[in-house]
Amino acid sequence: MKIPYSWLKEFVDTRLSPAQAQEALTMAGVEVSSCRFLGEGLDSVVTARILEMRPHPDADRLSLCKVTDGSTTFGIVCGAKNMKAGDAVALAKIGARLPNGVEIKKAKIRGQASEGMLCSEQELKLAEASAGIMILPEDTAPGIPLADALGLSDWLLEVEITPNRGDCLSVLGVAREIASITGEKVVLPDVSFPEEGAPIGDLVRIDVSDPDLCPRYTARAVSGVTVAPSPDWMRRRLTMCGIRPINNIVDVTNYLLLEVGQPMHAFDLDRLRGGRIDVRAPKEALVFTTLDGSERKIDPGMLLIRDGEGPVAVAGVMGGANSEVVDGTSRVVFESAHFSPPSIRRTAKRLGLSSEASYRFERGVDPAGTVYAADRAVSLLSRFAPCFVARGVIDVGGKSVTPRTVSFRPERATRIMGRAYAPETCMEIFGRLGFPVADDGTGTWNVTVPTHRFDIEREIDLVEEVARLSGYESIPTTYPESKAPEFSGDDRFVDVQERAFDFLRGRGFSQAVNFSFVAGRTWERLGAFLGFDPADAVRLVNPISDDTTLMRPHLLTGLLSNVADNVRRFVDDVRLYESGKAFGKSYAGGHFEEPRLGMILCGKRFPGDWSGADASADFFDMKGVVEPLLLHLCASPVHVVPTRLRPFFEEGKAADILRDGEVVGWFGAIRKELLASFELTGPVFYGEIRLAKAAASPPPPGQYEPLPKFPPVFRDVACVFPAGVPVGDVLAMVREVSAEVEEAGVFDIFTGEKIGDGYKSVGIRVKLQSLDRTLTEAEVHSIHSKIVNLLENRFGGKIRTS
Amino acid sequence: MPGASEQITRLLDEGMAAIAAARGESDLLDAKGRFFGKKGAVSAILKGIAALPAEERKAVGEMANRARAGLESAFDARLSEIREKERLVREGRERIDVTLPGRGPMPGHRHPVSQTMSDIISVFRRLGFSVQGGPDVETDYYNFEALNFPPEHPARDMQDTFYVESAAGDLVLRTHTSPIQIRTMERMKPPVRIIAPGTVYRSDSDITHSPMFHQVEGLAVDRDITMADLKGLLTEFCRMTFGPGKPLRFRPSYFPFTEPSAEVDIRCVICGGSGCRVCKESGWLEILGAGMVDPSVFGFVGYDPEEYAGFAFGMGVERIAMLRHGISDIRLFFENDIRFLSQF
Ligand SMILES: [Zn+2]
Repeated sequence: MKIPYSWLKEFVDTRLSPAQAQEALTMAGVEVSSCRFLGEGLDSVVTARILEMRPHPDADRLSLCKVTDGSTTFGIVCGAKNMKAGDAVALAKIGARLPNGVEIKKAKIRGQASEGMLCSEQELKLAEASAGIMILPEDTAPGIPLADALGLSDWLLEVEITPNRGDCLSVLGVAREIASITGEKVVLPDVSFPEEGAPIGDLVRIDVSDPDLCPRYTARAVSGVTVAPSPDWMRRRLTMCGIRPINNIVDVTNYLLLEVGQPMHAFDLDRLRGGRIDVRAPKEALVFTTLDGSERKIDPGMLLIRDGEGPVAVAGVMGGANSEVVDGTSRVVFESAHFSPPSIRRTAKRLGLSSEASYRFERGVDPAGTVYAADRAVSLLSRFAPCFVARGVIDVGGKSVTPRTVSFRPERATRIMGRAYAPETCMEIFGRLGFPVADDGTGTWNVTVPTHRFDIEREIDLVEEVARLSGYESIPTTYPESKAPEFSGDDRFVDVQERAFDFLRGRGFSQAVNFSFVAGRTWERLGAFLGFDPADAVRLVNPISDDTTLMRPHLLTGLLSNVADNVRRFVDDVRLYESGKAFGKSYAGGHFEEPRLGMILCGKRFPGDWSGADASADFFDMKGVVEPLLLHLCASPVHVVPTRLRPFFEEGKAADILRDGEVVGWFGAIRKELLASFELTGPVFYGEIRLAKAAASPPPPGQYEPLPKFPPVFRDVACVFPAGVPVGDVLAMVREVSAEVEEAGVFDIFTGEKIGDGYKSVGIRVKLQSLDRTLTEAEVHSIHSKIVNLLENRFGGKIRTS
Repeated sequence: MPGASEQITRLLDEGMAAIAAARGESDLLDAKGRFFGKKGAVSAILKGIAALPAEERKAVGEMANRARAGLESAFDARLSEIREKERLVREGRERIDVTLPGRGPMPGHRHPVSQTMSDIISVFRRLGFSVQGGPDVETDYYNFEALNFPPEHPARDMQDTFYVESAAGDLVLRTHTSPIQIRTMERMKPPVRIIAPGTVYRSDSDITHSPMFHQVEGLAVDRDITMADLKGLLTEFCRMTFGPGKPLRFRPSYFPFTEPSAEVDIRCVICGGSGCRVCKESGWLEILGAGMVDPSVFGFVGYDPEEYAGFAFGMGVERIAMLRHGISDIRLFFENDIRFLSQF
């Protein structure tokens, strides 16, 4: 909320300067985010009068003006045409530096000297745009600083009000805060006025049929008023605070909204059918046109103001077009009511209509302030617009307003805050706040809270008042007593994740962070390739854009688009990983979310290598990351098996990783169609690990076995297999041939003409070792024969003899 | 044996000449063989000495031994000279360019947000806090209600919420990691000392707001916790994160689930307090929200507010990462441009 300092001073004649007020309010919890001097840049701008105006002899678009500041005459070349001799204007003298940064220098424009500049509102930053120069009111005296003429020798405070402090959404509220800080007194303006009209009861009848939703309804009426613009000072203040002036009646209601925080509404009494007002929620839905011209669908339960025939306003939110004040209006009812905050909030939300009024009602408006606001409104109006104020005030429900009493123990404040608050200190603070205290000597006080402080209901709320008004800087710094630290499952997860990050970093992978939501349309278009039915996805009701409509079922699309983006930026060798959750509907009917670690790889196997090994990365480069990563995370033993279940991979280049029979991850070459839809050509490899499962239950500590004392024997076997034989299975079975087979590995693999189509040659090296003896030639021979037997009979191999 | 000494002298001269003439190691070893071998000249002379008369034997013997020793050391010296020379030649031939890049990948880069989050977590773990996680898709109860955001309360406007399609209509993407406070307190009795890192979501997007971002939230509940403890802990955290000598400012604020609440500002790390664009000329940067756990939150989890007190704090990880690394646009974090990531 924007508040002019001068307006605050009308309510509390504070000794604080604007900057001090900013600091003090901020440190008391009412944040003032800026405090701007409105006359900034207007130092050398004065009012002036145009004496004479004629066209520039050499330029059609320019005029030559003679202007006076009352003592000196200046010749000015001006590009605008909207003025005439006799007009009062804003003259920037030589040396002025305008709010828009322009410095005024003596200049010759097309041969004519210009001794200053006539300013537009835009140049003075008084408006976003302006058609010509600023024309001041006719009666403006020349030669006075423009800031004074426009009431800009003032500061504008921008106050950020937290939702609990609805009472501060007004000049009065912020003035009260200043008083609570400084101990100064708030003084309310005098609201006396003559009541010369008919008794209000003769003019309008008011009923409140739903008192729960409208605990208090106050009204004043005037007659014989002429609708006209309100005075400059009022229009200026409204504009400064961001409200557009309309006419004297409406402006007065808005002025009161800003000044005391009481939203008001003005009805044209002659347009209220039956001369009556009834506050009630309809039983059936209906359509109603608010004064902004929109048709609103009103649901049962939304509180309306009705006249004798139908709705005339949505209570506390917006008035209706059918009863608003118009040019010919002469009799006006001012509504100053208190509506129930949740009801207003529900209505405003359902209508998608948040107004200055509803914003305040939602946050709580002082129910005790309705009469003062109504009186202040008619008193202000009668000062500048001749009218007859009806006698008396209508006040339905006024008697029910009583302040709350809250108990408070000074000792409690000390306990919570960790610093001692003397009872006298607390007493003094409550005094500044205007909270009467009853102390019966039991250590528990009864504190009476004025009705404008909606936020204070409990002892802790009073503790906060004491703490903030004695300053947080007075709280000492101590340290919580240390306790034996916990080590949770999530601590372990964080450690596992950290180890994975370090591992991948060492392998040249950089970390990506993508949004958890993805574009649903991508998933619908590519669903067949992404391996997830979009109908099973967790969807947002109100996405911020088309790109964020569903929660990602896996991490692939994010990383893949990162690759595409980087390739587009001429980075061809991309290695990225991401740790994040995947989401989906679960069979149980709810949803699941699971931490995953995704890795993506494309480009050269060894980027930047100079020794001839500039081959492209392939499937085994990805396998060579995923598998050791799992071993690094203690997830071993794992088994890699071919899979057909992941349509985002090319068939035949896709594998699942199993641990204890459970899939803990998968990797493979991304399917060509998918690459094409991301405008990628080269092969891209992807792996994803179900991190929590992979790292679950760390293996027990390794147990020592005696080291072999006898020399090992190595045997190589070269064997031709049908191309489809999985070498991993071969090796696994070779290891099982006898206890002496300690290791079996591949040292060579090739295909080609020599081997024959559909076959591959595999070189297998076996390490034989016994713990208790040196193996004899005969034993080695026997094991070797068993292996050959296995390769030939089990896998259809044929031993090669070179 | 007249001439024995002449013989020795000649032998010495010849030997020295041969040593000097040797071109390579094998040349030299040949020469050595000629002089010192079983049938070499030195042996011949030494054998001859035995035949000399006793009076001569001593003097000639001494002379012969001196000659032999002289030759041997000359051989040795020449041998190391030749070897050194050959080593230099060989090494010169085999010299490699050690400035060429090593084989294997250079390390990749941590994402600055993730790194910052890890750093925050490790500071609090050192201070005795334990990590707790929770779901991203939360219920209205945990995200709002149990944190004292009643339905129809304007405090709900503080966080623009994403709603998730569900039968009951009560699911949201968590707008903060604070629901983990509730889930943890439901599960355990005090003392509680946790930090809750995670991804959070708000429907807001500009250069300082992202619809998804990261938070770390902390909670401590015990019999004797005070706001002064909170101040001490956060002061220590900021010292460990931003370095010493950065004043902090605690000012009153409002969060539904804490009371009293505080906003914590650090002296602007950009301008040092004189005022700049980053701190909006205030000289202070808001980095944390904190406060004492509101008694009504304790009510939701069945803790007695007369017996226990607690504090909670929360911070946006992106904001801290932006301040640490001088990043002005939050969207850079989510573009995953390798040229950006490589800077960290
Ligand atoms: Zn700064």
